[in-house]
Amino acid sequence: MKKYLKINKEAIRVAISSAAAYRADFLLSMIITLLSNVLYPLVTILVYRTGASYDGWNMYEVLLIQAVFTMSSGISSMFFESIVWSTMRDVQNGTLEIILIKPVNCMVYLIVSGFNVYSIGVVIGGIIMFAISIIKLGFPSPDMWIVSLIFFAMGILVMLAMQLLMAATSFKWVANSRIPEMYESVMSFGKYPQSIFNKVVVGLTTFIIPVAMIGFFPAAALLGKVQWYMYLAIIPCILFLCLGVAVYHYNVRLYEGVGG
Amino acid sequence: MNWLKHKYKVAKAVAIVTYKEWSAYRTHSMVSILVGPVYFVIQYFIWKAVFGGNDEVISETVINGMTFEQMLRYYGAATLINYLIMDFADWNLQMLIRTGKFLTFSLRPIHHRFFAFSQKLGHRVLGFLFEFVPCFIILHFIFGVNMVPERIGYTIISVALAFLMNFYVNYCLGMTAFYFVQSSGIRQVYQAIAGICSGTLIPLVFFPDIVQKLLFFMPFQYVTYIPICVYSGEYSLGGISMEIPQIIGIQAIAVVIIFIFSEILYRNAIKKYISVGG
Amino acid sequence: MEDILIKVDGLGRRYVTYKRGSGFKESIKSFFKRKKVYVDAVKNVSFTVKEGDIVGILGPNGAGKSTTIKMLTGTLYPSEGTIDVMGYNPCKDRVKYVKNMGAVFGQKSQLIFDIPPVDSFVMNKAIYDIDDREYEERLKLLTELLELGDIIYRPTRVLSLGERMKCEFIMAMLHNPKIVFLDEPTIGLDVIAKQNVRKFIKEMNERGVTFILTTHDLQDVEQLAKNVIIINSGEKVFDGTITELKNTLGAKKIVEITLADDTESDVSDIEGVKLIEKNNNLQFTLEVDTEIIPINKFIGLMSQKSVFTDISIKELPMEDVIAKIYTEKVGK
Repeated sequence: MKKYLKINKEAIRVAISSAAAYRADFLLSMIITLLSNVLYPLVTILVYRTGASYDGWNMYEVLLIQAVFTMSSGISSMFFESIVWSTMRDVQNGTLEIILIKPVNCMVYLIVSGFNVYSIGVVIGGIIMFAISIIKLGFPSPDMWIVSLIFFAMGILVMLAMQLLMAATSFKWVANSRIPEMYESVMSFGKYPQSIFNKVVVGLTTFIIPVAMIGFFPAAALLGKVQWYMYLAIIPCILFLCLGVAVYHYNVRLYEGVGG
Repeated sequence: MNWLKHKYKVAKAVAIVTYKEWSAYRTHSMVSILVGPVYFVIQYFIWKAVFGGNDEVISETVINGMTFEQMLRYYGAATLINYLIMDFADWNLQMLIRTGKFLTFSLRPIHHRFFAFSQKLGHRVLGFLFEFVPCFIILHFIFGVNMVPERIGYTIISVALAFLMNFYVNYCLGMTAFYFVQSSGIRQVYQAIAGICSGTLIPLVFFPDIVQKLLFFMPFQYVTYIPICVYSGEYSLGGISMEIPQIIGIQAIAVVIIFIFSEILYRNAIKKYISVGG
Repeated sequence: MEDILIKVDGLGRRYVTYKRGSGFKESIKSFFKRKKVYVDAVKNVSFTVKEGDIVGILGPNGAGKSTTIKMLTGTLYPSEGTIDVMGYNPCKDRVKYVKNMGAVFGQKSQLIFDIPPVDSFVMNKAIYDIDDREYEERLKLLTELLELGDIIYRPTRVLSLGERMKCEFIMAMLHNPKIVFLDEPTIGLDVIAKQNVRKFIKEMNERGVTFILTTHDLQDVEQLAKNVIIINSGEKVFDGTITELKNTLGAKKIVEITLADDTESDVSDIEGVKLIEKNNNLQFTLEVDTEIIPINKFIGLMSQKSVFTDISIKELPMEDVIAKIYTEKVGK
């Protein structure tokens, strides 16, 4: 464990120092990443301008959900995303062996050995949106914060599982750079209040692919709209992560068997 | 006449070769068969909620001049049209310039833009077969959204113009690589803005009035928004409603302008390329 | 066969670059005020190429070879001088000119990676407007000469480097060009592939195609080129036949000699003989200037001096000749 933390620390150091070397480039990339992540909140604002609403939720409540989602995806892409691109690249070029011969767990190594600095912009954007919404909505009580934090942490696990599944898919679907797009479309269900969906979608996004945990549940906790089934959803979140880990490992083993 | 025949032969050969080249990756295009409908389902629920939730209210509500029915058609059309006009001429061209392979086109008796255009034709035939057709079937027959264009003839013209527009804009973006070593920033900024302003995320009539008026002078609406509107049979932007033939005329003018611009840029870039060396 | 195909007169190419400071402050400064620096990549180069020739253009890295080839192929404007290839001005009549010219750039592939070469050929057939019958005949001829067979129907990505290079040749020669430019055509190839490519170039040359090639592989030059042009620091420093090139350093021979015993091994008293290498007490490598001491006189002298069991006489290696020409120029 300590070894991996050390590797991660080194990866962060390298990423930050290389960003510092190309400051203008870094700033531009950060802004672009941020821009493409605030598209949905922008749509929300444009819809609410007309006086309409998402099933009675007010604008700041919806923005809060999307702010939480943005922070979650920013954090997960900062720390976990590298496994997707490394696996894709290494499987395509047949260079995964280089990692397989190292005295490390391939999956953990690929997660910790990369750090995406550009996502800092996304996290900052998310925090700003979050702060504005909270100020407009009134400050939640401490127990709401605690529940929200637990949900948020679970949401991060779901994000990690998603990244692992993306990476695992690229073993089968070599050199398809559109794999993340597929998973992202499914994750989008977590950006909106669950009450706008029908029962089937609510069930699926809570218990099967628990993407509601990424944005909606933590925000609902802060808004005092927690329902009992949300606590229950913690179990599928953990199971989903186990699934991600298992599928990734299974594919690595297959790869070792075939030898690329 | 002979000239035209030769051009046709070249375009056909290049398109076929590109089709073959990308056929190996046709499963990549098929990602759209999942992604397109999933986003459509999300839009369906969002707008159902926005329009009031229950069927009675929905049928009476009109937002920004659009009914729920029209809104669904709008997003359906946006999804489908995107598969017909999508291209990455910008990425291709900047790659050729950066690797120095652009040289191999200077050595052949062909205009690279024409070559790239033919490539796009071949590539979009693939998009038509593996993205457009399956998604049309899903939206029209499974989701039950009427996806037959209001006026087929005009829609085809408008989509064809959008096809050209998108190509010339992207080709111009690709040409920036002749001038800057790091041209990817320019392209990414454009794409980020296009993401918001093209109308794929939300109909442009939802924007503040001043932005809507400004959009007449930017390339974005000519790429996506106009063909979507023609598809659904009604166009308005910035408080201006127009007949379909009128807006197609304006779209055609926009294509001519961007063509002239790309031609000037191309000549200048080639002059630079051939006088400085790649 | 005495027709002049290429005539280059006073060719020059000047680049303008800007001096860029290092460090943040300097680079901001240079953003507003830049210092112009002129670099002459090619200076006052003149030569002619006759029809049916194979001309090797040699020169160290950065000498101006690529710049020259680019100007000859019409992809770069000369700043000075004129180029006439088959009556065309390459830059001005580019489209007409490239229809009659072919080019293979060793490091810039024209083939499309994911599909068989034959599909790329069909594309060039359309681009060059080659009619069906001529295309079939040419393709058959070229694949036979290159011994490619069915390989052109396999995806390019599975082909070996040598096979790919052969396909590049087909790509560049389908439209029956009179003149073909080759930029490092054997780079990275194995010995057999190199031999095949060279054989092909020779055969096509016999069929009347003129080749201009740049290379770092001296074997290419020795085996192929009839004439050699050497460019160094942008200037032409040699222009002549292979034999003339070899004689530029004087009529020198390399003699390797093995003595029977180490009684007499000193050769420093013979004028025109230089000791290059002493492997051990019995084995020597000498350089003999045959203009000062004819080779038979040298052998006579040697056999008087000592008893030797083995002797071999060789030409001066090309590497030495070329290296000498390269460094001489720098020294000046």
